[in-house]
Amino acid sequence: MTAYLEVVGLEKRFGGLLALQDCSFAIAERRITCLVGPNGAGKTTIFNVITGFLKPEEGSVTFRGRSLDGFTPQAVVHTGIARTFQNLRLFADLSALDNVMVGLQRQFAEEPLGAIFRPLHAARAQARRREEARGILAHVGLADRANERVRNLSYGEQKLLTVARVLATGAELLLLDEPASGLSAGALDNIMALLRRLQNEGKTLLVVEHNTRVVQQIADDVLFLHQGHLMAQGTPQEIIADPALAEIYFGGAI
Amino acid sequence: MDFWFSYITLAEIYVLLGLSTNLLVGIVGIFSVSQAAVFGVGAYIVAYFLMAAEPMSFLPALGIAAVGCILLNVLVTLPSLRVSGDYFVVTSFGIQLLATAVFTNWTAGTGGANGLPGIPPPDLFHHPLESTGQLTLLCTAGAVLGCLAFFLIMRAPFGRLLRAIREDELAVAAAGKNVLRAKVSAAALAGAFAGVAGGLYATFLSFIDPSSFDLDASILLLTMVVVGGARTLAGSIIGPFLLLALPQILTLLDIPTTIAAAMRQLLYGMLLILFMMFRPQGLAGERL
Repeated sequence: MTAYLEVVGLEKRFGGLLALQDCSFAIAERRITCLVGPNGAGKTTIFNVITGFLKPEEGSVTFRGRSLDGFTPQAVVHTGIARTFQNLRLFADLSALDNVMVGLQRQFAEEPLGAIFRPLHAARAQARRREEARGILAHVGLADRANERVRNLSYGEQKLLTVARVLATGAELLLLDEPASGLSAGALDNIMALLRRLQNEGKTLLVVEHNTRVVQQIADDVLFLHQGHLMAQGTPQEIIADPALAEIYFGGAI
Repeated sequence: MDFWFSYITLAEIYVLLGLSTNLLVGIVGIFSVSQAAVFGVGAYIVAYFLMAAEPMSFLPALGIAAVGCILLNVLVTLPSLRVSGDYFVVTSFGIQLLATAVFTNWTAGTGGANGLPGIPPPDLFHHPLESTGQLTLLCTAGAVLGCLAFFLIMRAPFGRLLRAIREDELAVAAAGKNVLRAKVSAAALAGAFAGVAGGLYATFLSFIDPSSFDLDASILLLTMVVVGGARTLAGSIIGPFLLLALPQILTLLDIPTTIAAAMRQLLYGMLLILFMMFRPQGLAGERL
């Protein structure tokens, strides 16, 4: 059986720092896999390599049997992988709806000639896509915030919006970088429910997460990363029960 | 009457330039200080073809100028795809100085510092447009078409993409969009606007020289966009009409002609500083 997403022997250096070394793992389709590990373990670097933002020195990424070697970030999105960022990177001056619409693929008049010479067709096409985007906003629970500028949204709402923008790309594999960090208890439950729902709808999720409660509740599989290397993998219970991993993760605090 | 026609015609030409500058600087966030150079190339190209031994008619010459300026603007904007933000201003500044040097010293092509006199009036399908009123109509048509194109772009997905690029290129790439292609398209459009403006300017004044296309002119364009209002269509219209009225207002005051030009520059500079400090969104725009 070929893995859904497979990462083999990744190595990435930043100057003298070895961020990833011989890092290999695979994730299964339609599951929620959590990527955990102490700060600096290389979790975000892995996201950057998979999504084409960084070129690894060694190793390969294969998605549904197809190598992503040399793919630009936008080409990676077209294969069906999209990501969020830890620092959100929303378009703060645009409305929530516009943020989602930037994520929609294959839009008419996303270049000047169509916009200028076929304005009526462009307007009609855009009206349809706007409804599609509204549907996505409603799906993450932001229907009534569509026309609000991002800078006026709460942090929790902004986090939901990053998920909406990723969904707009139509990707099947979602890489979410700390979707639950910094959220209040209510917002936390909200986003966990959303992630479960996405999984039920057929999405595959790879999630960087620090909150062990979140990991326990949503993860089907856990990958434990340490110093740029996959140290362990298993169910959340297995990983959390391992005293050696807790020692690394909490620095002996427990 | 002729005075009003000239004022309106000139302002309309600068509206096209305002759109060009607003598109690059306001909307995409490519801080170009060399738009006057592109404007100048458009003007010289049209002058060249209208004054050739076998004169070309106006619209084909304007078409060649537009294409030339599209290519040129894409070329001079390319560094912004590698060099970011503040560094591009320096690159763009260099491009402007280089263009001024060429306009001033390439005597065979541009007439050098003395300029090119005697550019024939434009014609439409071999009917020469000689009265000021006809020229005003032509420039009105040009400005209206330019504004329409700008309006259509800004409400289409392309406009949204450009605004998103200004805010966060990386996030746009992560959304599966080709940032490079969008920037090149915007630069091409801005080039077309500036090239057409150049052609209209050369035929309207029938005389061009490098002083209309120098760094001061580029800064005037930026001032127009800042004062009128960045990122909006209204801003690109208000700015030119307002700033071109200033010299006329100055003539009402009793200022010796020897210092009038210097006064004008002083005023433009002060306006730029004051607006940046106290009203960065301009009269009808958004915060830069």
